[in-house]
Parts: sequence; C-alpha cells; structure tokens
Amino acid sequence: MKKLHETIEKAADLAFDMHFTAAKEWKSAQPDRVLIGHLPIYFPKEIIHAVNGLAVSIFGTGDRMQIIKGDAYYQSYICHLPRGVIELALNDNLDGFDGFIFPSICDVIRNLSGMFKMLEKGKFVKYMDFPQNFRSEVGGNFYRSEMEHVLSEIKKINGVSLNIERLNEAIVLFNKNRRLINEIYDIRQETPWKLTISDFYQIIRGGMVVPVQQHNEMLEIVCEELQHNIGEPMDKIKVVVSGAFCEQPPVGLLKTIEAAGCYVIDDDFTLGARWLEADVEENTSDPIGALVDAYLKHSTFSSAVYDVGNPKGERLVALARKRKADGIVFAAPSFCDPAMLDRPLMQMVCEREGLRYIDFQYHENIGQFKVIKEQVGAFSDSIKLWDDTLVA
Amino acid sequence: MREAPQVEEAPAARVGRPLFGRPERLQVDEKCLIRTNKSGKIMANITYTMGVDVGGSYVKTVLMQFIDSKPKVIGKHTEKIRKRNPEEVSEEAVQYLLEKHSIRYDDIVYLASTGEGEMVKKKRGHFYSMTTHARGATFFYPDAKTCVDIGAFYVKAIMLGDRSRVMNYKMTGQCASGSGQFIENISRYLGLAIGEVGPASLESTTPELPSGICAVLAETDVINMVSRGISTPDIIKGIHLSVAGRIVRLLTSLKAESPIVLTGGLALNVGMVQAIQELLEKSKHKMEVKTHEDANYAGAIGAAIWGEYRHEKLLKEEAAAYA
Repeated sequence: MKKLHETIEKAADLAFDMHFTAAKEWKSAQPDRVLIGHLPIYFPKEIIHAVNGLAVSIFGTGDRMQIIKGDAYYQSYICHLPRGVIELALNDNLDGFDGFIFPSICDVIRNLSGMFKMLEKGKFVKYMDFPQNFRSEVGGNFYRSEMEHVLSEIKKINGVSLNIERLNEAIVLFNKNRRLINEIYDIRQETPWKLTISDFYQIIRGGMVVPVQQHNEMLEIVCEELQHNIGEPMDKIKVVVSGAFCEQPPVGLLKTIEAAGCYVIDDDFTLGARWLEADVEENTSDPIGALVDAYLKHSTFSSAVYDVGNPKGERLVALARKRKADGIVFAAPSFCDPAMLDRPLMQMVCEREGLRYIDFQYHENIGQFKVIKEQVGAFSDSIKLWDDTLVA
Repeated sequence: MREAPQVEEAPAARVGRPLFGRPERLQVDEKCLIRTNKSGKIMANITYTMGVDVGGSYVKTVLMQFIDSKPKVIGKHTEKIRKRNPEEVSEEAVQYLLEKHSIRYDDIVYLASTGEGEMVKKKRGHFYSMTTHARGATFFYPDAKTCVDIGAFYVKAIMLGDRSRVMNYKMTGQCASGSGQFIENISRYLGLAIGEVGPASLESTTPELPSGICAVLAETDVINMVSRGISTPDIIKGIHLSVAGRIVRLLTSLKAESPIVLTGGLALNVGMVQAIQELLEKSKHKMEVKTHEDANYAGAIGAAIWGEYRHEKLLKEEAAAYA
C-alpha cells in the first residue's frame, strides 16, 4: 500500500506541475534532447522517442491556475482548454519546449496552433492532420508524410535522424505502456474499489509528461500492488464516462462521481494514452509503416474521427457491455462541439440498446459539484433501486 | 446478546464477504440471524441495517431490524454536529447505537449513508437524500403521494411513485429563509429553546409577517418587531407562515398530490405544520398534511430500508451469477 500511495502522489505531482519540471530536467541532461509538446487527443509519441525526444502531453491548466490572459484570446462561447494552454505559453511555462504539435480535433485547436505560430513559441509549430480516410494507399500515405514532416523538423533542431532500431525499441516500450494501462482497467473492472478513478487518472496523466520507461515503472508498481486484497467494496453502480477526451475533468469531479454512487470502470480521459487498441507490430523493417497500420486499423472511437461504417454509438455501447457497466455518464466540456454533436447520436443508440445514461457538462476549472452530485446520485439510486426503468 | 427474543444464532453459515460470497453456502447470510422452531426448521430471517443521515446541522442514525424483510426501528440517535468533523460525529453515533443495543458492527448487513454522508466510515452504500426521504415517508405512511423534506438548509418537495420512486421534485434555492436553520436562528434571537418554538407559535393571535423573503432582512425585521413590542408567539407565527408560504409555492408548482408527508427536523415543529396546513386551506388545496414523531429520522430510516433491499438484491444477484 505504501508503494501505491507513493506512486499516486508522485504521479499527481507530475500531472499538475504547470512548469513541466521533470520534462525540462530530462532535457537538460543531454544537449541533443528535444521536448515536443502536443495537445490532445492522440499523437504517436514513439517517433519522438526514437529521435532522442520526449513528447509531453499538454492538457491545459485545469483548476490549477487562474486564467487572466487566456480569456482575452477566446470568446465566451469557446471551451476552456485553449485559454489555459495560451496562459501557459504567455506565462513562459512552456519555455524550453522545442516544438508544439496540435493534432486535428476541432477549429479551436487549429486556431490555437495559429496563435502559437504568431507568438513564435518553440522552434516549430505543427497543426497535424490525422487521416479520416482509412485506406492504406490514401490515409496511410498521408499519415506517413505527416510523421515524416515532424521528424524533419526535429532533425533541424538536434540533427538526429530516424533510426529503425530505435523506433522499434520505442514501439516495444509504448506497447508495454498501453498493455499496463489496459491491465489496470481490467483489474478495476472487477475490483474498482482497489484504486479510485481519480487516482488512476492521475497515474496515467502524470506518466504522459515523463519518459515512457519511467511511466512503465510506475504502472508496474501499480499493477503489482493491485494484486493485493486492498480496499473495501462498496455498493455502487458501474459506469463508463464518455465525452471527456480533450478538455480534462477536474479531479474533484471524478471524486464527486464516485462519491455519488458510481464506480467509473472505463472512460475517455487522457484517451491518447490508449488510443491504439492493439499492439503496434514490433521489430519490423518499416516501423513507421507499423505505426500507420496501427492507426488505420486499431484506433479507438472518438468524436474527432469520421466513423462511417464504424459508428461511435455502437462502439460505446459495446464497450459498456464488455465492461459490464450499468450505465453511461456523458460528461462533456462546455462548448465542446465534437462531443456535443456526437452526444445525441450516441444517446439514441443507448436508448435503442436499453442502456441507461445521464448527461451533464463541466469545464476544467469547475469548483462547484453540488448539482452534478445530485444528478449522478439520483442516477445511481434509480439503477440500484428501480432498475426496470430507463433513465434518460 | 441479541435484541430480539426467541432468536437463535444461525448455524455456522459463513459466506465470506457479502458481495462475493460462495454460492453453495448462500442459504443464510453470515450476518443474518434465523429464527427456528424446535425441530430446527427456519421460521424467519432477522437482519439488521443502519442508516446514517448527515444533515446540515445534525447527524441522525437509526438501527433497524428486519424480520423476513419487515422493517422495525429498534434504535435511533441524533447528534448535533456543531463545529465538529461530521465524519467523527457519524462514527460516534454509530458506535453509540451499536453499544446501546448490544449489537456488533459485523451483525449489520448494510450500513447506508445519506445526505452529506459520503464520508461515513464502514458504510456499504450511499443513497441520495431524496430517495431516502421518499422511502422514509412511505415507511411512516404507505399511502403518501408527496414528501416534503424540510431540512436545515433546503426544502425539497418530492412526488412519489410506486415503490417510493422519486417521480419529480422541486426545491428551494440557496436562500436561507426557506430553511430550518433560519428558524433556529430566529428562536435564538428570541431567547427560545428550539423545542419551545412550535408551541409558542400556536399561541399566536395576530401573526406578524416579516416584510421580505431574505433571511438577513427578516432577521432585521424580527429585531424591529421586538422593539415594537410584538409578542414572541406572533413573531414566531409570522416566521412560520413566511417559510410555509415558500413550501406551499413549491407544492403548487409541483402539482403535489395528497397526502403530503412532512419529513426533516422542521416537521416536528407543530407551529410549522399548522402554518402549512393553514396556508394550504387558504389556497383551497384540499391536501392532507401528515407528520410523524420520527420525521427527523426519515432520511436515516429510508437509507436503512433501502440498505436491506440492496443487501437482499445483491445476494440474489450473486447467487444467480454463480448458478
């Protein structure tokens, strides 16, 4: 238990260090190391690792920093995440980063990449389009060229070229990382009381700002500790949380959901950490091709992905069924267009499949959880006590 | 040292932890007692649950006994929180009841919390306060159609469906003038013990209503009334009518149905109950208003009853899963 608590504390410190101290210390240890910041949702960190770099996930400031300058850059009807990111940039918290990558999620992130360019943050800023065409000869070739463009930018900074052997090593490390994370999800599915969702969330998020080897060590400790008979089971329902793939919910919100009678057994927080649902092929002569193939064939579902033929609603319900969840909590950030657009479609599938759900909105620095607590508490009770009725 | 007479200890029927027992030994839960006849045949199952309702001012705790799932309150305890840690107050209250009734914690099949009781130690589950008050109301009066929980900080009017289901609700906002704490403050200004407030209100002949709905302004009003020589019963009655007015408006907007059961601490205040009845009569709503001597325990009772329900359900689900 002591090791578990120490790991959680360490991860929490890393996750909410708005100065990215650990990453900057890592960089300062060798002159040719580079720090690359990337926004949610997914970015193939393996390629950065292979060229002596560290890809650091930037999730904004959450409820850990007062936004003063950031609000001047965005209208009131824009989500909260970019305000925190621009605040970090303007406060020099991101100094020391060599480049920034903005994966294509929505227009807000696209505009944010433009602001970074105008502010001349880092040595390069790239808005990275991810393919929406999943045919290898179309989307695959495009995705490969996008990754090669990132690598060429890094080579300009540290002079390191991509080495097949090193990329294969990176792929092995990140495969292990995803497997460990998924192992903890599997453990929590059966015994969620062993590790709260807020602690688990911090363990994952904390690992996304340090080298993958360090994160793997943390995850191995957690997996080992969870083999013990710890915690006391409570009478709660099991839920899957959906909609929080970009702007992250505050830890207080996660605690509120669990305190109100729910075990969160699956979610889309820090979704990039387990975007790929299967291993990337290891030890191949074309590791970039292996990453491309994994993205095209094994990506999870998300509101940032075009999904004809593989609809998100059905995949969400399948996930809930696989996890034996009692219901779905749709929790999306205010003004998150992708999540809001998908929500009614996903809810229609839930209704059709008889899966109960509730929905609410949050923003990353929300501090009052009373209303959400009431809503989630009522949802939990309605399932526990009157489970023959669909709550919607 | 069990409470119930003619009860024998269950034969060694350990089933492990309640949620994860072994199916082949699930005939009797380890925390149940069974009543047997002389030939050893099982006549009745007896279980115990506890409900802990952590409110804004008080922690209410009940100990319930179920003989073949029929509930009976066998112990109750109220503890004012004052400036103490509610978690510790709850723990003390639970221990007090267990010791008083010579029951071990292990004999409790389900300790359920409600209200702000998420922090209660050793609990097996937590229920939402509206759910528990609804169940408490139907425990008092099975024909209840509406429940009004008048707590320290909020008033909630709840429409009840079958199986004590919460069908709809309306609640006051965050203004303190619709709450029990407000009346407690006023009684303190007037030098009345909280138990004297209700009877004093019944003595009123010409109630004096406060001019505003704001608690702060109403408290200023009360000071003015005292200086103007208004009698204490008339001031108190005026305050009761003011709060009752809010409750009646909630009931009207909810389209409440009769009978209405009042729960929460203020439901024990006879002056408050009378004020609600008077206003309902004036508004020509033919509503029957009921209260109960244990109305302040409604949340805790509801939690304890739901706890027993969940315990039984989990046992059945567990057995089915292994079958």
